[in-house]
Amino acid sequence: MLSSIAEKIYWLSRYIERIENTSRLINVNSDLLLDIPHDESNDLKHLIKITGHIKDFKKKNTKENVFTFLIEDENNPSSIKYSIEMAKMNSRYLLTMLPKSAWEQFNNLYSDFNNNDKKNSEDLYQIIRNSQRFFAIISDGMQRNDVFNFIKLGRFIERADMLSRIIEDQILRKETYVNKYYQNLQWSSVLKSINGYESFKTLNKQNLNQEIVLNFMIMESLFPRSIKYCVDKLDEVQKYLPKSVQIKKTTKKLLDGFSKQNIYKNDKKILKQLDNFQLGLIMLDKEISQRFFLTDS
Amino acid sequence: MKNQNTQKNNFYDEYLNDKNKPRRLFLSAYNYFFKQSPSKKKLLAKVRDSVIKTMGVTFRVYDNNKLIDREWPLDLIPRILKEKEWIEVKSGLEQRIKAINLFIHDVYHKQKFLNQNPILKSLILESPNYLKECSGVVPKNKIWANISGTDLIKDHRGKFYVLEDNLRVPSGVAYMLENRNVMKKVVTDLFNKYKVSPIDDYTSQLYTCLSNASYINGNKNIVILSPGIFNSAYFEHAYLAQQMGIDLVEAADLFLSKDNFVYMKTINGKKKVDVIYRRVNDNYLDPKVWIKDSSLGVSGIIKSWKEKKVAIVNAPGSGVADDKAVYAFVPKMIEYYLGEKPKLKQVKTYLCAFEKDMKYVLENIHKLVLKPVNESGGYGILIGPQATKKELKEYKLKIISNPRNFVAQPLIKLSTTPTLINTSIQPRHIDLRPFILSGNKTFVTNGGLTRVALKKGSIIVNSSQGGGSKDTWVVS
Repeated sequence: MLSSIAEKIYWLSRYIERIENTSRLINVNSDLLLDIPHDESNDLKHLIKITGHIKDFKKKNTKENVFTFLIEDENNPSSIKYSIEMAKMNSRYLLTMLPKSAWEQFNNLYSDFNNNDKKNSEDLYQIIRNSQRFFAIISDGMQRNDVFNFIKLGRFIERADMLSRIIEDQILRKETYVNKYYQNLQWSSVLKSINGYESFKTLNKQNLNQEIVLNFMIMESLFPRSIKYCVDKLDEVQKYLPKSVQIKKTTKKLLDGFSKQNIYKNDKKILKQLDNFQLGLIMLDKEISQRFFLTDS
Repeated sequence: MKNQNTQKNNFYDEYLNDKNKPRRLFLSAYNYFFKQSPSKKKLLAKVRDSVIKTMGVTFRVYDNNKLIDREWPLDLIPRILKEKEWIEVKSGLEQRIKAINLFIHDVYHKQKFLNQNPILKSLILESPNYLKECSGVVPKNKIWANISGTDLIKDHRGKFYVLEDNLRVPSGVAYMLENRNVMKKVVTDLFNKYKVSPIDDYTSQLYTCLSNASYINGNKNIVILSPGIFNSAYFEHAYLAQQMGIDLVEAADLFLSKDNFVYMKTINGKKKVDVIYRRVNDNYLDPKVWIKDSSLGVSGIIKSWKEKKVAIVNAPGSGVADDKAVYAFVPKMIEYYLGEKPKLKQVKTYLCAFEKDMKYVLENIHKLVLKPVNESGGYGILIGPQATKKELKEYKLKIISNPRNFVAQPLIKLSTTPTLINTSIQPRHIDLRPFILSGNKTFVTNGGLTRVALKKGSIIVNSSQGGGSKDTWVVS
């Protein structure tokens, strides 16, 4: 497969996964607002922090402004709109690379998003459904070829990255809650945002607390939105990619710090570890790019 | 149902005779469409639209800085041609393209034909389509224009004429193929009533043709080089690549090794490229040779081609025969190179470079269509019968100041076919672009892409300017 095509597929996949993750994040937080009294923090600016472009947000810090910035602002590289346009741009090169039905589903996602002017939470659910359908078509009916492999690579790097940012943000944020009760509410909303509340409950019947939630979100190998699951998938897909020894090594190292004793209770340690993890992902992305996309002799 | 075709016009209508009755061969198709209720016609159009949408047949336009994919416009009333008539056209096209290829080779070698026609020679040597860098190159089988699209029209008596030879990067073949697929789905009953010659082996013929152009034997790596997603024909580039199972590349995917072989960058490392079906114009192909800041080309690729390390299809320089002045000489070429009489008619063309022709053109300008020699895409054309006195006068001055730059042709009354316009059926002007592949053998498509000017009275068939298309049925 051409390097340039591999790169476009990788990014198409990352952007679609990002669209879904951002939609989940917004929806859960807007639900959470309904549960938290106004004197407790209802500042949503932290959502922009998670997605990484806080400097570009110059408007007044209101719920509407934050949501508009995250959903529709074309100039915000972390907005859903921006990701959708970038995905569209990449998709234009891939006319013949995706199964027809995946291609059609992507077009649905694109036109559904652009058909509605003012976005409400139903629209975000629609985005989530549309992107899930897209990946379902890929997982269910696509030849396991290089195209498939690069879709998987992009998807799980993006997911792992977003997961680590969500956790990081929630740890930093919990200090803003005076009442401990709201901290637990917060963790349950995080679980919902990754579609994991029910799975978590079947595994952990006792009350929620940071330690067991983090243990679940990071190390639960059977849950598809845990960090471990993502890393396992990245490891798995590399079996099928040519000459990726270095990339494999970097992937293997990603989880190293997470199995230390008591790390999930200690905010400082876990934040440091999440930081390392994100740096590891950046490294991995760089190695993938150098190995597969920039080959020139 | 009122017949919209009742007004007798001066054009040859392919469905209806002088008495406004359907010709025998066309009866089934005529009944199928003319006898439908408006709501059934609407329904057919709706089915067609959804089929086209699902199949994703689009063409790209750049509108207000935004890239838009438009659904391909297909009219459901087919263009029908008799097989007997088509066999003659086919052999005429084969003859024509053979002579043209011999001519191009001659232009870049001994220039024998040019030496016998000094005015043509001087026109050619000045033409931007003549690329002196291509002199002395011998493409495989001495074929320069491996893939061509020749525009044909029918006159007021229903006789085919060649209007134009497209020898650079003719487009439209993917739409020809997809039109057929849509028709099979939407008007299946009607399709079954005719014995329509199949067209779907085109892409395998194309692969063979590209393969024949290679300098190496055995396994070869063939790619399509596209200018990229902003090109209006990108759909076609991607479609052909997929149908042939080959890679669609852009300039940035390719590079030259130190020994001047062309490679493409893949996730497995570099891979040698043997044949490039380029959909990039000559001038953009190699920034070292022509347009210096071209990002659509590959630096050094012309050198590689000259050293026969890669085949480029169509060969650079083949556009020299696209020139309108050259067109006027094609009948002469056929006699010169093949010793045969031309089988296909073409439109009488006056070259203002000849004094006698210029005199005639100036006197009869109001009856003629004037065209600049080196423009394409309809630029700078004057349609005499429709022009004002002032326009005619100004154009005359242009001709006098640079006679070599102009040719003139009588205005041909393009034939019409009934066309579905909303729920009514109206005559619209059409042309036809068959595609000819020259390799070890010559292959001509059964029919081709029929283009139709959807605006009433218009003869502009380009899809970018409100033109549509029809499926072309060659029937026995």
